[in-house]
Parts: sequence; structure tokens; C-alpha cells
Amino acid sequence: MSNPLVRKLMLSLGAPILALFVAFALTSLVLMALGDPVRDVWITMLSTPKPRMITNVVNGAIVLYLSAIAVAVGFKMNLFNIGVDGQYRVGSFAAAVFAGQAWLPGILNILVAIIVAMVAGGLWASIAAYLKVQRGVSEVISTIMLNAIATGLVSWLLLKVAVRTAGSNAIGTKVIPESSQLEGWKLIPGASNRVYSLLILAVIVGFLYWFVLSKTRFGFDLRATGSSETAAVASGVKVKRMVMTSMILSGALAGLVGMPLLFGQDHSYGTTFQAGLGFAGIGIALLGRNHPVGIAFAALLWSYLDTQANGLQIRAGVAPELVYIIQGIILFAVVIAYEGTRRLDIRLEQQRVARELAAQRTARQTEGAVA
Amino acid sequence: MAVEVEGITKRFPGVVANKDITFAVRRGTVHALCGENGAGKSTLMKILYGVQRQDEGTIKVDGQEVNLHSPSDAIKVGIGMVFQHFMLADNLTVLENVVLGAEKLHGIGSGAKNEIKRISQEFGLGINPDAMVADLGVGARQRVEILKVLYRGAKILILDEPTAVLVPQEVDELFDNLRELKAEGLTVIFISHKLDEVLSVADDITVIRRGTTVASVDPKDVNARQLAELMVGSELPTPETSESTVTDQVVLSLRDITMAGTEGRDLLHDIDLDIHAGEIVGIAGVEGNGQAELVEVIMGMREPSAGTVMLEDTDISDWEVREIREAGIGYIPEDRHRHGLLLDAPLWENRILGHQTERPNVKGQLIDAKSAKADTERIVKEYDVRTPSIFVTAASLSGGNQQKLIVGREMTHAKKVLIASHPTRGVDVGAQAAIWDLMRQARHDGLGVLLISADLEELIGLSDTIRVILRGKLTGTFDPDTVTSQDLGAAMTGADTPHDDIPHPTDPQDVR
Amino acid sequence: MKVAVAVSASTLALAACGSGTSKETSTTTAGSGTTSSTSASSSTSEAPKSDVKVGLAFDVGGRGDQSFNDAAAAGMDKAKAEFGIETTDATAVNGENEAAREERLNQLVDAGYTNIIAVGFAYAASVGKVAKENPDVHFAIIDDASDASKGDNVAQLTFAEQEGSFLVGAAAALTSKTGHIGFVGGVNVPLIVKFEAGYDAGAKAVNPDIKIDSTYLTQPPDFSGFGDPAKGKTAAEGMYQGGADIVYHAAGGSGAGVFTAAKAAKGWAIGVDSDQAKTAEEGVRDVILTSMLKKVDVAVYDYLAKAVKGENAAGNVIYDLKVDGVGYSTTGDKMSADVIAKLEDYKAKIVSGEIKVPDTK
Repeated sequence: MSNPLVRKLMLSLGAPILALFVAFALTSLVLMALGDPVRDVWITMLSTPKPRMITNVVNGAIVLYLSAIAVAVGFKMNLFNIGVDGQYRVGSFAAAVFAGQAWLPGILNILVAIIVAMVAGGLWASIAAYLKVQRGVSEVISTIMLNAIATGLVSWLLLKVAVRTAGSNAIGTKVIPESSQLEGWKLIPGASNRVYSLLILAVIVGFLYWFVLSKTRFGFDLRATGSSETAAVASGVKVKRMVMTSMILSGALAGLVGMPLLFGQDHSYGTTFQAGLGFAGIGIALLGRNHPVGIAFAALLWSYLDTQANGLQIRAGVAPELVYIIQGIILFAVVIAYEGTRRLDIRLEQQRVARELAAQRTARQTEGAVA
Repeated sequence: MAVEVEGITKRFPGVVANKDITFAVRRGTVHALCGENGAGKSTLMKILYGVQRQDEGTIKVDGQEVNLHSPSDAIKVGIGMVFQHFMLADNLTVLENVVLGAEKLHGIGSGAKNEIKRISQEFGLGINPDAMVADLGVGARQRVEILKVLYRGAKILILDEPTAVLVPQEVDELFDNLRELKAEGLTVIFISHKLDEVLSVADDITVIRRGTTVASVDPKDVNARQLAELMVGSELPTPETSESTVTDQVVLSLRDITMAGTEGRDLLHDIDLDIHAGEIVGIAGVEGNGQAELVEVIMGMREPSAGTVMLEDTDISDWEVREIREAGIGYIPEDRHRHGLLLDAPLWENRILGHQTERPNVKGQLIDAKSAKADTERIVKEYDVRTPSIFVTAASLSGGNQQKLIVGREMTHAKKVLIASHPTRGVDVGAQAAIWDLMRQARHDGLGVLLISADLEELIGLSDTIRVILRGKLTGTFDPDTVTSQDLGAAMTGADTPHDDIPHPTDPQDVR
Repeated sequence: MKVAVAVSASTLALAACGSGTSKETSTTTAGSGTTSSTSASSSTSEAPKSDVKVGLAFDVGGRGDQSFNDAAAAGMDKAKAEFGIETTDATAVNGENEAAREERLNQLVDAGYTNIIAVGFAYAASVGKVAKENPDVHFAIIDDASDASKGDNVAQLTFAEQEGSFLVGAAAALTSKTGHIGFVGGVNVPLIVKFEAGYDAGAKAVNPDIKIDSTYLTQPPDFSGFGDPAKGKTAAEGMYQGGADIVYHAAGGSGAGVFTAAKAAKGWAIGVDSDQAKTAEEGVRDVILTSMLKKVDVAVYDYLAKAVKGENAAGNVIYDLKVDGVGYSTTGDKMSADVIAKLEDYKAKIVSGEIKVPDTK
């Protein structure tokens, strides 16, 4: 019986590894075609990261992980929440403003601010959910629009509430009180910098994602809807309510994306707050096949590439944007490979079922003959 | 012979769409392929047009064996296809539409225009190459589609349900055109399930049932009833029930159920129906006459415009699907892939589907995987689902075993009523007999069963009462002990009511 | 040659869509990084050698923006040619993390660069942090004088952009025939508002009734407004069609689009940071009335000159009109002698303190 398990494992690991090799080869070709130093690039990209950079990889992955989980909740239901980008921006901003007021002490301030972020992200996503359920507007379109609106809205509000420090040209919300700033953990030996304390948030979210989806009725309904909407309707799932719930859930999780940054690094929301995390989350959710562990690996890989690419220009004279090519090719390759292995998997399983049934039949016949 | 098809077989995971299809089309004739929806006509047509490849069998065109890998291969050997849904760009002229993709043949200028005029003239199509497609009526657009195919040099035309979108006058015009085409030596393969049309225009008829060719007949030798009988079949193992178990206790009762359609005609009209405990009520009808709507109303998937549904003494008209299922109505859907299964999920998860709130599947808000798996093992055993394990995906099972899993699941939860929509469609003969046994068991256990089927033998064999549905109305009640398939076939198509002019389900006027 | 990166559009990185992919292509053709530094040092082999190794960290856009970043690069290149120092540069990625900026500075430290210049205020916090961790390395930051970046080994180089903008605002008002001018800002951040405030004040000093259209291409945190000529073109087109005849841009690489629009509308444009009548695409140079010079090159060069001499440059240095750190250009002689005379008059008044130019709206 280990046979099907081995097959599943081979197929699910084979695809991403294959994709990595394809990305490696194609990127090398691109570099060669443009006369760039292929060797230097790979030496830089594949060099052993210093402890400081390992911390950066982990920190980057934490944020990307949250974003990808938010996207994956939608994916599980065949909802393409392209709006994580806007939702996390709205959520981060709301939480930053709230935490900056320092109405509550220390940790409590953090906990409530996190809830504020989830509510803000969820509310923002509920607009797209409402439009889809009541007006049939594709969530892809509406969330893209809402991303643009979120950017404008947050910038506008930021200018209203911004605090300016003397001599600085940057603007941001009021810095959160020191008692609510999380110093981080010294997890990586030899690193001068620390891993975000809110790593724990990512772990909790990952666990809950797994638990709710695979162990609860709600999760079953959600997966059923994603797998076949018609079958879900016939089974009694109220699809509209499901769309509403999962979209808001996705938005609430998106609200969490900025929290490690806010409490562990930036301490305020401003012009230099990291952007574009929602889009990276889409790629990572795809790469990690919406699986909580798969997404963790995908987020680490993504973050590793991002971090390693930083030195490209200095050490190899190649623009760090090269990493977009690598990431893009990985995604393309992996999507193609997943579809390929999915079909292969179905075919192999059908063949196996047929074979085993045939074997059973012969066995029964021989038994009968003996008897 | 223009086309000879021999032994064509096409399998899809879980189903055999075409099995050993064999027929021959004479040059210069209109050859009709007819059969019920889902009989395998469209798969066959796709194979002939190179969209799909057959797994087995050969196709010969003018005596030469051909290998069709794509539509362009098909057009090279002279096979052209006129689709049911037109593929024309509204904002272009006829000329532009015809030339699009075939620019090399006669250019895009006056050469092309003259060629279009010539073809139009020769076959009496009456097409003006400069007209905007947006300004043309449905009939004219169809003639443009035909012209497009002729322009590309087709000698054999396949028309897929060409009359579905036409009003009667246009149908007559189309048939005149077809006669013109065959007079010029072209060959037409005409796909339809409308018996009167087939009889009026075809020179030969091939009947397809359950994915295989069951008869080739001369239209002069058959009437609509005989053809209907051929289409629905009658040679299968007889599904007879033993003595009656019907009680006088009504378990499911429908009163005045009406569902308005979009085009004025009701999809369901004043349906009154009672099902008693221990009774199988069969619904006979040509597909598309309201069966699907009837089932969906009972299951709470669609809201009727008027009327009530009672489960014993409870009005369940406004209940949600889940409440209805929890109340003890089992549902074997017509399309198991769309409505009955999660194909990429394992069997034990499919056992949960539809009963996500009921034991043994759940404990409170949590899925009780252990009990669900154990019960899946039970279903697999009791209902003889042939599978190596309950962890394989539903997609990897054959159609019959998929269906047995669904039947087992639904019978486990159906405490009062079982709605079975085409329960044996697309399953092999062995599974079919097993499912019939299970239906009889349900009846014996005191369930009220609503059986909808296109298989008249099945209906006659299993049912205690047969009702006929035609255009959303229940039109007749038959006693299965005395009724013949011929009678039923006639009632289903309205052929038993001679004053009724066009006796087929998708009446053109209604379609428009 | 470096890799032009337009692939972000084809991946799911929609945010980066159109954010100056064309820009980056031109960056790459301009050549930069180690390649250019080796070729340059070989061509100036007689120049004296120095121990100073300079790493320049750009904000989004990098070399080739024909404006702010190029000015910084020009200052460094000049110092390199004169003092024979080794240089390199690295460019930020749009929307990056604070940690990525720190990492860039750390990478430069690791690679042994002794003087690291961070171009742009986004680096404030990272410079402050990395400078503290590496007291032996010298840092400079442009456009920031906040406490965040302050340190014993940090030179804070800032500019009185409002003063230079005042002069080009006056030039616009003096030249405009319609009494209607425009301003295109790259991103709505306080730094760019300084430009707008000065420009408004200058124009109104000449003509209190002048009509000024003003717009910003993007809102933070979207910084693509500094590198998207298409956006600049659209914004400027609107102003010219609305009756403006002169548009001033403070939009970095997006300014190229403003020039294109000016050319099409047969209007004037005012450049920014560098003398754009010399640095812009040749076809559009003749529409540039003047440029507001923000002499980042001078600031960078001065800083490096001190570094080579071993002087400590830490602390805030303000480049204003008085020290000629900002100004206006007359390349192409588009302004009449009369106008220039009036501008010199304003300049004297600002230097003397008679006119105080506001730096916020």
C-alpha cells in the first residue's frame, strides 16, 4: 500500500524541483543571451547566506507566508482574491493608526491592533464579496479596482494623519509606543538582527488554516465549493454565503500580512512600508499548492531568492530585478508541471484501480475454483 | 459511399462515450444521426470533425481511410461542420466572416466576393456578401455558416442540431437548402433528436443509443413511434418488480407547482404529484421537458413561482437544500459528475458530500473522519462498489461504481423519499441490474421513490405508476402493467395527440 | 550589458506593472556597476590612486533617470575620474522592505566599501542603523536630515529645493503667455511638495493671479511615479490641453513624458534636478525652458573630495541658493535677458533673506 503514497510524494515534490531546474536553465540562457556573467550570478544567488541574511530570509518568509495563506483561502474556493495587496495595506494602516494612539498598554495594544487589522482587511474584502454575490461582478476585476482605491485611500488618509519628524522627507503614522514594539527573537546564531516575534502569528495562522479546512464542516463545505460548485449546491452548501464568508476571511487574513513588519520593524505605517506583498502571495500560494506546509517552503524559497538577489548588482553587476525572471519562470514552470502531474496522477490512479480490480477478480475466480 | 465509419470507440475516464459505432453514408444523401441527449452523438461528431481522436475504429472518406487530428485535417478531406452555435462576428460583413481564416483560397477582395456569390447562387442560399452579419436573421446566419463551410471546399457537411434555433418557416427553408445541396451531389450528415424532422428530410437514418449504433433504418419504413422506441431502447434485461408494496400513506406531495420560464412558457406548469410510501413513481419524458426543474424544486435547489411541496405533513417549500436532505430525502442526481461527486476527492470524502451535517460524518462542527471512513467501507461492501480502497479519487472509478457509491450514500440517509434521476445512465449492464435491485430494496423498505428515466423499459419494469411529462406538464398516467413502450414513446413526444402540430420537446418557438 | 527586467508584468507582480520598465532598459544600456567602473578606471589610468572605495545605493529608478539619480551618479563619476577611487552602485527595487535597504548597505560594507552614499530619504532608517553597526565606515545620505539617520559617521546632504523652484516658478510666470502654468509631481511626498510650494510662491510673486494646475502621478507607497514616462505624459497633456503653456515637473524619470507632451503641444517644459536641456532625449531638448538645478552631483562630489582628503564630513550640510546648491539653468538660451535679470534679482533677495520661500503648501 506504500506504492500510492510514494507515487503521490514523488509527483508532488517532482513538479517544484523540476520547475526549479527549468528556471535555472532558462535564466542562464537569458543571461548568456545578454552577455551577463552567468557564473557570477549563480555564485551570488547560491552562495551560503550569512546569518544576518538567513534572518532576513526567515523574516521575509513570515510576511509572504501570511499573504499566501490569505490568497490560498480564496483559491481553495476557486475565488481569485487579487485584492490581498489592497486589503493588507488597509489593514496595516488601520492597525498602525490604532496602535500609534497607545490607548492600551504593551501586548494588549498589539493584540487589539491585530484585530483592528483583521476587521479592516475583512471589511475591505467584503466590498468585493458583496459585489460578487449581489451583482455578479467578478472578484478578479473588483479586487484589482479595490487595490487601486485602497492605495489612494490610504495615501490620502496617511497625509491627513501623518506625523513629520524634523529634517525627514519621509512620512508615516505616529510611531507605536516602545512597550508595543516587538524586539524579535535571536533565533539565528551569529546574526546581528532578530527574527520577528510574530513568527508565532504565522505558525498559528498556518495551523488554523490546516485545521479549519481539513477538519471542520465549514472547511469541507469550502473545499467542496472550490472543487465543484454544482456538486456543492446539490449537497446543500449555500454558495453565496460561502463566497461572502471566505472572501471576508481571506481579507481578514490579508490584514495580518503587515503585522510582523509593523510591530517588528517599521513601528509605523509610512511611505517606506513594504509594498506588493499581496501579489507575491498569489505566486507563493500557487507554488505551495495551497498546502500550509507547501506554502511555508514556497515562502522561504521566494524570500531566499529576494534576499540573495540583493547583492547581485554589487557582486555580479546584474540588476536585482533578475530575480523576477527567476521567480516568474519558476511559477510558469510549476503551474505547467502541476497540471501535467495532476493529469498523470489521475491516469496512473485509474490504471492502478483497474489493475487491482482485475487482480481481485482473478483471485476470486481461483478461490472459487479451489473451493 | 461518402463516409464509412467502422467500430468507433471513445472512452473518457469513468464512461464510454462511443462504443463500436458503425454506419455508412451514401454520397448525395441526407443522412440523419438520431438519439437521445447524452447518447453519444456529440462525441461522434467531434471525432468526425477531428476535434477528438477515437480510441478504436476507422473512418473512411470516399473509400480512403483518413486520420483526422484536427479540424483542418477534416476540411482537407472535404468534411465541414456547421455548429449549433454560430461562430460569426456580428460587426463584420458576410464576406469578411467567410474569408476569415481562409484568406488564401480566393483572396479577400473581389475574387472572394465572386466565389461567395457563385456558391450562393448555385445552392440557392440567397446571401449578399456585403451585408452586415448583425443585420441578418437567425436563418440567414445559419446559411452563412453553411456557405462558410462550402467556401472552404467541403463536400460532406455535418449539421449539429441545426433546427434547434429556427422557427418552423426557417426549418422549411433550411430543408429546401439541404435538398438543393444533395441535388448538387453534396452529402449531409444531419444530427437531431427531433423525430418528425428526421423523417421528413433524411434519406437514411442511423439511431444511436447508449453510445452505440443500434439501427440503420429507411425513413419510409418507420414512423415516429417506432423511431422513438429505437431511441430509448427496449431490449435490456427487464427490471421487473415483485408484488406491490404501495401503502396509502403519502410521503411526498406536490401541489400546483409552477415555474415561470424566461420566454413566457412555464418550465413547470401546475404539477400535482403524490408519492406514497413503498411506491415508485416513474416520470417518462423526452429530455428537456421539465424533469430537471421538477427534481430541483423538490430538492430546494430552485424556487418555484407557485405551489407547495409537502414532506408527509410538513410544508418544505421554503426549505434549504440542506434542511431537505436532513429531513430524509435522498437524491441521486442526473449528472453525477456535476452534482453528485467531487471527482478529485477520495471516496470517503465523497461519502460525506450532501450529508455534511449528519452522522456518522460529523461530530458537532468537526468532520468525524474515522466514522465516515468506516461507513464508506460499509457502503463499498454492501453496495458492491468495486474499488481497491476508499482513498482513491472518485474520478478513478468506472461510471457504474461511482453511481453505486452515490446510491449507497443516498440510501443510507434517505429515510422517507428517494429522488433518482436517470440512475442507470452511463453505467454498464451489471451495475444497472444492481442499481435496479437497490431501487426495489428502497421501495420494499417503505420509501417513496421518484424515478426519472429516459429508459422506458426501466420505467415500466420498476415503477408502480408512470406519469408522462411534456412541456412542463404532467400529461398522462399509465399503469406499467399494461402500458407498452410504444404507448409511452408516443405520449412523450405528443405523437398520441394528432391535433398537436409539432410534437417535439424543444419546440422552435419556445427556444427562440 | 545588464538584464532588462520587464518580466514582472508577465508574472503576477502586477504592482510593478509599467513602473518604468522602459526606464530600466535605458538604465541597463547606459551601463553601470562593476563593468563601467573597470572601463572608466582604465581610461583614466594616470589619475592618482586613493584608498577610498565608494558604494552608491540608489532609490527606485537608479541610473538613467536623466534627473535625480543621474545627478548623484555624475558627482560620483567625476570624483572617480579625478581622484581615481573605486566605485560601484546598486539600485532599489520598487516597494521593497526596510530590511532589503539595510541589506543593500550591509552588502556594500561587506564588499569593503569605505564610503557609502545612500541616495534618497527612504534610506534614512537603514543608514542610521547600519552606520551605528559599522562605525569605521563612512556614510552619506541625500535628502534626509532627520534623527533617524544621524550619526558620527553620517553626512546628511539636503537641499533647499523650494528656493530653486521659486526661481523657475518666477521664470514660468514671466514667460507664460496664457497666465496658466502647471506642476507635475512624481509622488505625493513632502519632499516633492517642497518643489511645488516654491514653484507656486515664485509664480505668484510675479503674477498673483496666475492659474497653476498641479498633480501628483502616484501616491505613496507606490513610487512608480518617479519612473513612469507614460503617466507623466498623460498628466502633462491634460494641462496643456487645459490651457497651460508651461509645465514644471518634479517627477524624476517620468519627466521624459512631460517633455514629449510639451513637444506635441508646442508648449514649454521645465526640467528638474539636472540640466535637462543637456541630459534629456535630444528630440525634446528644445522644449525645455530651463531646469531647476538641484546639484546633487556637487553635493556628492564635495563629500567625496572631503573623503579623499581624509576630512570628516559628518553632519548636516544644506545646499541652498547661497552656496549655489540649487539654481536654474540657461542652456539653449530660451529665456530672454530680461527674464534672467529678473530671476537674478529674486535670487539676490532670497540669498539676502528678503524673500523667505515656504517649503510646505
